[in-house]
Amino acid sequence: MGTEIARRLETDPEIDYLAGLDERPPRARLERMDFIEADIRNPVIAKLIPQAEVDTIVHNKIIRRPGPGMSGRSAHDINVIGSLQLLAACEKAETLRSIVVRGSAGVYGSEPSAPQFFTEEMARRYPLRTRFQRDVAEIENYFDTFSRRHPQVVCTMLRYQPSIGPALNSQITRLLSQPIVPTYLGFDPRLQFVHELDAVDALVAAIKNPVRGPVNVAAPGTIGLTKLVRMAGKPTLPLLPGLFGPVTDSTQRLGIESLSADFRRLLRFGRGIDITRLVEEVGYMPRFTTVQAVEDYVRTQRGRRLVPVFREAVAS
Amino acid sequence: MGTEPGTNGGGASRQPPPRDERSDPRSARPGSFPGAFPIGPAISFLRRFRKGLDSGSDLPVALGEAGSALPRELRDALDRLLKRLAGDYVEDEWGFDEEFADALLPFLEFLYDRWWRVETIGARNVPSHGRAMLVANHAGVLPWDATMISVGLLREHPLPRYARFLVLDWAFQLPYVSVAMRKVGGVVASPYNALRLLEQDELVAVFPEGAKGAGKPFKERYRLERFGRGGFVEIALRTGAPIVPVAVVGSEEIYPKVGEAPALARLIGAPYFPLTPTFPLLGPLGFVPLPSKWRIEFGEPIETARFGPEAAEDRSFVFELSEQVREAIQNKVYENLVERGSAFL
Repeated sequence: MGTEIARRLETDPEIDYLAGLDERPPRARLERMDFIEADIRNPVIAKLIPQAEVDTIVHNKIIRRPGPGMSGRSAHDINVIGSLQLLAACEKAETLRSIVVRGSAGVYGSEPSAPQFFTEEMARRYPLRTRFQRDVAEIENYFDTFSRRHPQVVCTMLRYQPSIGPALNSQITRLLSQPIVPTYLGFDPRLQFVHELDAVDALVAAIKNPVRGPVNVAAPGTIGLTKLVRMAGKPTLPLLPGLFGPVTDSTQRLGIESLSADFRRLLRFGRGIDITRLVEEVGYMPRFTTVQAVEDYVRTQRGRRLVPVFREAVAS
Repeated sequence: MGTEPGTNGGGASRQPPPRDERSDPRSARPGSFPGAFPIGPAISFLRRFRKGLDSGSDLPVALGEAGSALPRELRDALDRLLKRLAGDYVEDEWGFDEEFADALLPFLEFLYDRWWRVETIGARNVPSHGRAMLVANHAGVLPWDATMISVGLLREHPLPRYARFLVLDWAFQLPYVSVAMRKVGGVVASPYNALRLLEQDELVAVFPEGAKGAGKPFKERYRLERFGRGGFVEIALRTGAPIVPVAVVGSEEIYPKVGEAPALARLIGAPYFPLTPTFPLLGPLGFVPLPSKWRIEFGEPIETARFGPEAAEDRSFVFELSEQVREAIQNKVYENLVERGSAFL
């Protein structure tokens, strides 16, 4: 997604200078961007970033789920230590006016007794239950403290719901591309996503119009897990809550994705967030509703879906 | 929400079509009895299916084409089922699924008409559009009273609409229950949910007595509990929603609660674990509610818009209004108890 954001920013005439920092080069060729190859955990970025003399920093290095070959430990390191190093660098950048962080709505958790739509002030109302949730809460804390110490810098913390889209490889798209989708027996949570295009555009909107504090980012509306899986045309494997963890973990060896603790809770209790602040203060209205985002994703998926074929035949 | 102005004002417009056919024995065709297996269509279905397969069609296509041999109603039902299986159904942002709620209506209408013989009075006091808050007394362990208020409105109101209920959070931790609750319009009992729903101009039903009301012992029946901290009044004032007091009589007798097992309640995390003459003694039979006779009365709406949203900050005013609503409901409950006479006949 980093490359996608950079590509969008490159085409913007209002931006005079653009630099990107990562430990591996971007996937596509970028014309205008200066690429700095560095690890965000390395203190050397405290020298590199102030040299660039930028007015805005976009922090897009929060790992939602450790990829293959990455331990939970190193994901935690990148998330927390990386954010600290970045802030240390920001301390020295005198030209800095705003920081935009692509955070996560995972900070709210998934709670059966929570309001159906979290607003920005409802974080930390429930215990932080998973490692990722604690990481995000910690990161938010650092940026909050930083913005209080440096009132001239506007810190925007974007809380993203999971993204979905044809070009995306995320936990939810990987779950839906499996031959069979594990679910919690007797639960059909309300889920909310953001379309991959809206995810990028909301970030760009926040860069142009940074507002102080947390902002929820999601598509309007929600979708039940059952409806989602049926739209994707996949069979489900309902599992008792006690068996869900062991079963999904053991299928990992068969090459089927195991699910993060965070994501498991999401599949059981769901989560909705309120996007009034995004629409009214940042001024960005997502183009896709949650159901439309799912439709757009499903349309591009291969494979024959039995039920619609059967239906057409009945109707004819 | 599917309201059709100008249809016959009796409120019967709401009834789903299948009910009329099934409940009216005269509509059954001579020579057939309900539930008879349609042998003829079944044979021609199989024949066509075989033919489809022989001519090289795929399994689903062949099945589908053979489907045209089935009678019209069966094909419609099959189509509806397939639509749902393909994920082609509508849930709003709260997870409310009107089709699902409609499908439950025949069962609830049986309870309404035959089992509890509910009489609904004053349904016209409920505003037919825009935001409004129904405030009702709560009794009877399981929220059957909520379903009967809903059916009463759908049946007796000239412009029927579904109410959204604030439901005890505990229900949302349970498998199946949580899904059913949200699909019929239940939301977690949180002031944020109530505010958002009212701002969307929905009809919101609340039971300020909460679990205390539903779980009160049989000997305290029809004596309303304290109305919490008056939070519902604050929300009504903030959104300017009129408050409609609702009195339900009959719900107290459905599961006469004679005792409690607090240890069991703690074990399953429930707010209370009731003991009734039939539960848990008779096992699942204990869930069958007693056929008491019911009356539901919707009172005159209490306007809140004229006080303005600032009034929500005034503690003493909120308590006063909350007490006024409680008294209105309590009085209506007593009146209807007298009107009803015997509890079961």
